[in-house]
Amino acid sequence: MAIEHIHTYLVHPGKGSENAPQIGGANVPLNGQLFNLLGGIYAKSDVECDIEISFNQSEQGTQNNPCRDLIVAYLSGPTIPRGRHIADRLELATTHRSGLGLLFLIAGTEGRQHKVVISRFPANSAILAEEDQRQLSVAFLERVFMRSATAYKAAVYKDSSLQSGFWMGRAIDKQLNSGVIQLSNYWIADFLASDFRTTSAAGTRRLAVALRDAAKRSGNITVKSEIAAAVTLAGSLRGRTLSVREFGEQFGLSNASKEAIANEIKAPGLAEERFPFDFEEFSKQIAYRSVELDSGGILSAASSDFDRVFHREPSDAAPEMVRFSTEGRIVSETLGKQR
Amino acid sequence: MTELKAVYQQRYETVLRPVASALEKQLHEYLEGAERIDRIAARAKSIDRFLAKSQKIENGVPKYVEPLRQIQDQIGVRIITFYISDIDNVAKVVQRYYRPIETHALVPESESEFGYFGLHYVLHVPTDVIEPSMDREMVPEFFELQIKTLFQHAWAEAGHDLGYKPGETPLSSDAKRRLAFASAQAWGADRIFDDLFRERAESGAISSGGLGGDEARGRDEESGEASVSFAKGWGN
Repeated sequence: MAIEHIHTYLVHPGKGSENAPQIGGANVPLNGQLFNLLGGIYAKSDVECDIEISFNQSEQGTQNNPCRDLIVAYLSGPTIPRGRHIADRLELATTHRSGLGLLFLIAGTEGRQHKVVISRFPANSAILAEEDQRQLSVAFLERVFMRSATAYKAAVYKDSSLQSGFWMGRAIDKQLNSGVIQLSNYWIADFLASDFRTTSAAGTRRLAVALRDAAKRSGNITVKSEIAAAVTLAGSLRGRTLSVREFGEQFGLSNASKEAIANEIKAPGLAEERFPFDFEEFSKQIAYRSVELDSGGILSAASSDFDRVFHREPSDAAPEMVRFSTEGRIVSETLGKQR
Repeated sequence: MTELKAVYQQRYETVLRPVASALEKQLHEYLEGAERIDRIAARAKSIDRFLAKSQKIENGVPKYVEPLRQIQDQIGVRIITFYISDIDNVAKVVQRYYRPIETHALVPESESEFGYFGLHYVLHVPTDVIEPSMDREMVPEFFELQIKTLFQHAWAEAGHDLGYKPGETPLSSDAKRRLAFASAQAWGADRIFDDLFRERAESGAISSGGLGGDEARGRDEESGEASVSFAKGWGN
């Protein structure tokens, strides 16, 4: 860790506001308790920021991005005025709903690489309690900035080239975990002018193909059933961001099922990449779910509808036997050479 | 130069060729079922071409200070379609699965000029095509993808072969005019084929297979951006 500069700015909501407040800014000394806190954030940022993002092309389709330009300009000589341009940009993207925030820019070098961590602490209120031998006194505190478990946001960029690099970074956005992407569009989309490096279609396709192949290749009937059940419930993931690994956790899959899915992913890192789930793409890749019984019967329906179309119940004949039933009008019947 | 050659040579063998091959396979999968695609081809830029490009001078100074980072077509992919309408369908798939940092519809600078036409992207190399055993430092961040019709492709290839090989005598004015004439003919042929295709698809005589919108049809008319006014080869 070699932090060389820390600058901080108080950023008010300024989106849609004609008179956005002027932003000041201050140096943070490279020692003391605050430095220790920020040093920890800087050191952990590579792991903590778990979403790979990349800057968008310009609206004209050229290799220009206004936020990247500001970050590169800041890193080429970190000063309060250069950092203020980044704070100004955040102010213009911040809504009243997101509220007041304290922005930290932590710049340093790691070997040949320049590194910057951009971290926003949302404002909160708190109660200060002080106790001495005779009494307890409490006071209400406004403008307390906390590393909130639900609204903390940060981004880290690391590259050796200020000229050609800094197209990709990593971000953390605790609000994304709430499942409502719109809440925090302002951090990745508006402020950072970025998007997920893995597109929703590419990430979802990777997940769907892994699930499909895992269910197909596994010889374990429990694994097949668990995966099929999770696929049926995947509609509930609309609007969420997740990774292949998180999909397994979301639906409480067994270790055997998670392992079967992981085996279908080429590299472990790919299972960790997060992307916005795209139900349309998912349905395209896993359109149908089929169940084959040892009686020779095959049931098939759209994956998302299977459990609604077929009612499943235990059979009295034997503990492992099941009975499926469904009701409807016959719309077609086919004969074929293959199943 | 020797050091650059050694580094690129290693990159070429260990990373660029396998990644190009994986990209080609991936695009075949993404475009499965898409009709009227003549070919999808990916290549790693040859060592000689890369070194020649890295030495390029622009306005009296070297164009590339960090060639290994700045030259973005170390991996190039081409998708060739039958008709102009098909370009839009392919572009939609590309935009759905890849992240661009540049999108450029290349057309001659003025309406009275004819030359190179093509839709170019600079895209992030997706992580799916990078083998775990590869040195990530060696993998370029980006690759170039071109989408062209058969006629656009044919003109660009022949035009590049005739006039844009390094070290050859530049084309005469008359030769340039004849190449421009050939481009105009290719442009006209593209229009005729696309019109015929649309007419027959709309009348139900043939399968439309995802007919492209007006967006694709009018792309060259919409863009007035400065561009490579003549052949821009792929530079194998």
